[in-house]
Amino acid sequence: MNEIRLNNVVPEIFAERENLRSDIWHHDIVFERGKRYLIEAESGTGKSSLCSYLYGKRGDYRGQILFDNNDIKRLSMAEWTTLRQNSISILFQELRLFGELTSWENIEIKNRLTNARTRAQIESWFEELGIADKIDSRIDKMSYGQQQRVALIRALCQPFDFLFLDEPISHLDDRNGDIMRDIILREAAQSGAAIIVTSIGKHPHIDYDKHFKL
Amino acid sequence: MRLIWKLLRKHISITELAIFFVANLIGMVVILSGIQLYSDVKPMLTGEKRLIGNDYMILTHPVERFGTNVKHFSDTEIEELGNQPFVKNIGTFQSSQYEVMGSIVFNGSRLSTMMFFEAVPDIFIDVESDAWHFENGDKNIPIIIPRNYLNLYNFGFSQTQSLPQITEDMIKRVELGIELRGNGKRDMYKGYIVGFSDRLNTILVPMTFMEWANNHYAAENNTDATRLIIEVANPADPEVQEYLSKQGYVAEDKPSESGKALFLLKVCVVVIVFIGLIFSILSIIIFMLSIYLLLQKNIDKLNNLMLIGYSLGSVTAPYNIITIALNVAIYVVSIVAVVIIQSIYTRYLSDIAGYELSASPLTSALSGLCIILAIILFNLFIIRRKVKHISRKQ
Repeated sequence: MNEIRLNNVVPEIFAERENLRSDIWHHDIVFERGKRYLIEAESGTGKSSLCSYLYGKRGDYRGQILFDNNDIKRLSMAEWTTLRQNSISILFQELRLFGELTSWENIEIKNRLTNARTRAQIESWFEELGIADKIDSRIDKMSYGQQQRVALIRALCQPFDFLFLDEPISHLDDRNGDIMRDIILREAAQSGAAIIVTSIGKHPHIDYDKHFKL
Repeated sequence: MRLIWKLLRKHISITELAIFFVANLIGMVVILSGIQLYSDVKPMLTGEKRLIGNDYMILTHPVERFGTNVKHFSDTEIEELGNQPFVKNIGTFQSSQYEVMGSIVFNGSRLSTMMFFEAVPDIFIDVESDAWHFENGDKNIPIIIPRNYLNLYNFGFSQTQSLPQITEDMIKRVELGIELRGNGKRDMYKGYIVGFSDRLNTILVPMTFMEWANNHYAAENNTDATRLIIEVANPADPEVQEYLSKQGYVAEDKPSESGKALFLLKVCVVVIVFIGLIFSILSIIIFMLSIYLLLQKNIDKLNNLMLIGYSLGSVTAPYNIITIALNVAIYVVSIVAVVIIQSIYTRYLSDIAGYELSASPLTSALSGLCIILAIILFNLFIIRRKVKHISRKQ
């Protein structure tokens, strides 16, 4: 997948609002493969909605969202499944990890599906992110910051053209934030993927190609 | 798959599944036994070896007024009737054209009475006896009387007159004196009762004897038939009734017992199957509610799995496997139960029928397979729809 296009998109609930000031809503925007984007938002401006639209979870918007010229409202469940396995990867704000599984199992449940990474590769990330000792801990016994790092590793366990990072370092200190940024940049560069970061405050220090205010 | 199982088996209620299993099992056993019983009993009522052999009708013209000119069946009438599609066999009653005097020695005194004989072709006779034959020159005549006569005596006459009851075997040993008169001749014969008929309400002698005796003793040979016997597939068939009333014939026999029995059987089976269906439907509702609740409790996990790239098919697989495994188990156990039930009632029915019934659970196995497949497909469809629904909604 090479581009994501938003044509005059606006959430249904904002549609009638007149004083809507946004770089995204009601604009025509293109996200291209290989580039880096930051979408900064304040509370209540519809960040969660935008993410839900792009993940195919919700469709309560006007306008059009196109993946390589295909209207995503017309994608079947099977097509979404293929996209989520091969083209778009997401680090969810709410993480969406499985609390009753260990961090290793949480990674495995994804990597089994895609066979994208080796165990050694995954273990080296755990090492790099400073959570190697947590590899067999249950997720619900770990801190949110530790969980965020596990969620990143899971997001990397698949081929992708677009990597969505929804508030990726909200619970990390600067040092760990920088480690995470390095891994993200490395992996995105390797596959030529786009990085789209959303944030309401803290965001990784990256040299962004484009900066949007939601 | 192992991890999916680990995630999604949570909240599975063994109790609810057990209730479904037992309830649906009961439903299936009841339905399948009903169907099996129907398919086993139906041939006894309608087939070659029917249990109630009353698919015969005796036809006459109505008696319209007091007099001696009884209406006969003409040859064309007989031929036309024989050509009707519902008539399997047709035969005429031959009656004796000579005088018959029967006598019996009882307590040392001789009792005698005027009587008559009739004959029908052997295929219509429901008594099997080696003695049922006559050849020219024989002095012994085999006779069949209606079982009613004996019952009338045993349960009516003998009771009021303080006379002893008599068994069929005793009667068969009694020698009757039969005197035939006509055409200027008078001869003595010995009569033996060789059997009792439930079908034919007359005093029967073999056709061979009747033809010979009519030639020998009758002044003029009048073979016009006043009564016909026909064998029909189903006397309750409206086509039969319609034809008879159109021709103005009177059926001496009441509508067939087997028609009534078949109807009764159908009613019973419908009731049984209906009860079974209620069980099964309720159990399926319990199962669906249980699965719905399970899906609802696991809704977040299902959603997350699909958001990280799991297909609808792979997240529904655990529930599909549970559904298929449970239903296949129900099918197998219910077929085993039906085979056991069948072996029990087959023993009873064989006793009643007087011959060995073959017991094959093929009918219930096939209908059970259809039902179980339908239940499985329905459940899989519902599960898929529900998961699709919750994945889209959020």
